[in-house]
Amino acid sequence: MLFVGLGLWWSEIGILPRVVNSQDETLDKRPDYFAMEWEEGTLLTKKQTPFFIEVETMGNQSISLLTDENNRPRLYTADIVTPVCADGECRLMYLTLYWNLLGGYVGFDKVEGQELTKHDHEEFTDPDYEKLHQLLLDDNSILKRKKIDELVERPATSEADGVDATSGATIAEVKESVVDGALYSCFVAWNIAHGEVKRELLDNTAGLFNLEMKHYMLNSNDVDYQMYALKSFEEGDFIAFKERIVEMFRESIPLIRTYIVQNLPELFWRSDSLQIPFWESFDAIDINNRSLLLNHLETAPKEVLLSLSANMGLMTKNQLKTYLMGVEDLVKENSLLAKELDSFAHSKSNTYAYIVEEFLEDLE
Amino acid sequence: MKLIVLTFSLLCINLAVSQDMLIEAEGFEDKGGWVVDPQFVEQMGSPYLLAHGMGVPVENAKTRVIFNKDGEYKVWVRTKNWVPGNWEPPGKFQLKINNKVLQSILGQRSGWGWELAGTVSIRKKKNSVELVDLTGFNGRIDAIYFTTSDAEPPSSMKKLATWRKTVTQEPLAPNITKKFDLVVVGGGIAGCAASIAAAEQGLNVALIHDRPVLGGNASSEIRVHTLGIYGHFERILKKLDTEHYPNGSPEAYKDQEKRDNNVKSYKNISLFLNWRAYDAKAIENRINYVDARQTASGERIRFEAPLFIDSTGDGWIGYWAGAEFTYGRESVDKYGEHWEEHGELWSPKQPDNAVMGSSVLWRSYEAEGNENFPEVPWAMPVARDYAKVKGEWQWEFSRNDLNQIDDAEEIRDHMLRAIYGSFANAKKQAENANRKLEWVSYLVGKRESRRLVGDYIFTLNDAKSGEKFHDAVVMETREVDVHYQTVLEDEKNPDFISEALFYKTPKYYIPYRSLYSKNISNLFMAGRNFSTSHVGLGGPRVMRTTGQMGAAVGFAASLCKKYEVDPRDIYTGYLDEYLTLIENQKYTPIPDSKQ
Repeated sequence: MLFVGLGLWWSEIGILPRVVNSQDETLDKRPDYFAMEWEEGTLLTKKQTPFFIEVETMGNQSISLLTDENNRPRLYTADIVTPVCADGECRLMYLTLYWNLLGGYVGFDKVEGQELTKHDHEEFTDPDYEKLHQLLLDDNSILKRKKIDELVERPATSEADGVDATSGATIAEVKESVVDGALYSCFVAWNIAHGEVKRELLDNTAGLFNLEMKHYMLNSNDVDYQMYALKSFEEGDFIAFKERIVEMFRESIPLIRTYIVQNLPELFWRSDSLQIPFWESFDAIDINNRSLLLNHLETAPKEVLLSLSANMGLMTKNQLKTYLMGVEDLVKENSLLAKELDSFAHSKSNTYAYIVEEFLEDLE
Repeated sequence: MKLIVLTFSLLCINLAVSQDMLIEAEGFEDKGGWVVDPQFVEQMGSPYLLAHGMGVPVENAKTRVIFNKDGEYKVWVRTKNWVPGNWEPPGKFQLKINNKVLQSILGQRSGWGWELAGTVSIRKKKNSVELVDLTGFNGRIDAIYFTTSDAEPPSSMKKLATWRKTVTQEPLAPNITKKFDLVVVGGGIAGCAASIAAAEQGLNVALIHDRPVLGGNASSEIRVHTLGIYGHFERILKKLDTEHYPNGSPEAYKDQEKRDNNVKSYKNISLFLNWRAYDAKAIENRINYVDARQTASGERIRFEAPLFIDSTGDGWIGYWAGAEFTYGRESVDKYGEHWEEHGELWSPKQPDNAVMGSSVLWRSYEAEGNENFPEVPWAMPVARDYAKVKGEWQWEFSRNDLNQIDDAEEIRDHMLRAIYGSFANAKKQAENANRKLEWVSYLVGKRESRRLVGDYIFTLNDAKSGEKFHDAVVMETREVDVHYQTVLEDEKNPDFISEALFYKTPKYYIPYRSLYSKNISNLFMAGRNFSTSHVGLGGPRVMRTTGQMGAAVGFAASLCKKYEVDPRDIYTGYLDEYLTLIENQKYTPIPDSKQ
């Protein structure tokens, strides 16, 4: 049960909420604020689920599953009406919320004729809605670990820092993330979007998860989907989806790359053709993942060891040391590599030229 | 002054064939605006002098050097360009000898090593040497070497250590030995609390700390406020902790004074400030002694005791003694520390060497008039377009190719680039025209590094379950709070900003068994290097909690002395008495005069 406001009961206020028109059984346009890709021509149809959000004095608000033309689950949605109370005054907030298949908030639609308002009764502007959307997208928002009264309490003034003191810093962080003059609305909306519903939707999706969904999530640009699909992998999947895995390793966020490089089956490191595409991404990936790749230098084919020399300028000090250790034997027999190292060592523009210089000295 | 000259004579040596003299920069008589930085001794070989002027060249450091023989001396300086690249090195300086500036600009070579400052003609016994900072941006100098020979001193770390010993003719062992009931290494909140607890029980305690002030991360030099609860040890911890001021606040000075005075008030705590331990020797898994060196003079002392406490944060004493330790993140399955909501960020499927990062805090203030700040091109590859006028705890850096101990200098320097670059960006905004840097720490405020292994390894599950262990000695209510670098989620983010993930738990407890080494029989640990998993550390790493650990082992040490036993024996044979002793700490003792 979600408790909002400052203890006023809706029925005492004597205003009846407008009945939300839930007749729209389809969704054929990108929601007003939406963090996922939306393909033109998409038509999603609502399906009932057993899930609902219970809002104080307003009863249960049903959550629907949105499926595409082929009946494949794509989103969850709910039309929300909730009271927002502050300083003894209550108003209703109308929003249509959307969650992805993992229960993560992804967007909302405004309800026609029901603009959100601030404490001073001013309506939300477009930037205000955008700010609300960004706040709701932050699943680790400061709102998560604070009660509403902690967020509005005025901080004691610090001697050295004035209003910017410690508890003030919290207030400052809140101020930065919520819509000015609409703390209560933001707090209520965030807690609905990130409530228990999240867990229920995720569990529901787990029950629906199949090969199609695995494909869908793996090929999505949504990194949470990518991770979910990767975590469902069995060893054979890494082979079955190897082209996509390489693509993700090259183009996705560092966290996804790390999961891939850390969980590739041994088979990949025993096969030249399977591992080479990952090494070929060396210049395109982030520093952390370069380090993780370099952990596999021992099993890298000779051509990788040689071609990596072109990337020495990208390596950090410790990465360079790891690489040099890896080519210590090879450099003795390969004059081309030796020449390349030598030229690197004597270039003024290489930050870590001295590391290679010392390495070559020690070799002598 | 006589003492200083004598000190130098220890560090200077004349060889028969050529005339050679090594001057350690940290031993300069007058350090001017340069500061002694002893943080990276284990990596680069020595404390060094740092020109930490936040962009304003610091006052010259000066010293006098006695030469026994006249001659033409080559002058070598051990230094490094701390940001090599296609720009002017940020930390440039020169040497002035007998009031004459040597023309070579120093601080230009990549990696620690020797630069030739020039040649001087020495024609008198007493000579003056000065360091002339040119930039205020962290130029650094380890040592100056005068020689009449043509040979360049070695730069590689392997050869340098041997060379240094030969040149200084330093004996293997310190020639002073001191004996105590208990030796505590590391004067952070944990080490201070341990010392007080043991001292109150009558032990003769040595507290060795490598800075001039106590408190570690809570000190006025790093300025992180203390968090957590007092547990049983409110009376002791209130002598040491801080107000809840913003991290980086100069209010830290007030608590610094309180802390230093309180620790110094114990007659049976021998305080060795500016002494850094550099070795611990264990025979048959028992530490016999710890060796430490004065960070400026280079003097050495051997500390012998039946009991030692490692509160160094980095677990150095345990490391040198051969204690089992861990570093990095365990696999999620090792201890079952899964948290669905944050998945791999919280605890990975495969173990790795990622840890929470180190912070360098800073602040600026509104000056009365316009203030200039120089261009810092060497900082921009790190700062990029980030613009800020102060830095709180989120200014944190870790990367998996950097070890928080072995690469601490690079981590600190990365943070300095982040700070100077972000401030330079902020200064380009009209509203910051009057902004001036007030304080930038040059000390790395670490969160996590080595964790020594005890008889029990504390994990997230112990925090989640709130199990009250039968040997519980520390308690905490604060969330488990693990940080990650935001760049892992979005490469557009600066790589020096972190985010915290908070796991709410009930009140939880840490058992005594997590506070002594599994395999070094007379070693306690207190502070972030206690026996815990990576995620487990997320909660009790804050300083009132680590202070509780310190106090707990300080009291345990007193019982070890009473019964002439080791830390584990307190658990196996004297637990009731120990727990009673701790329980009694809740009450202010009645002074002897009133009994």
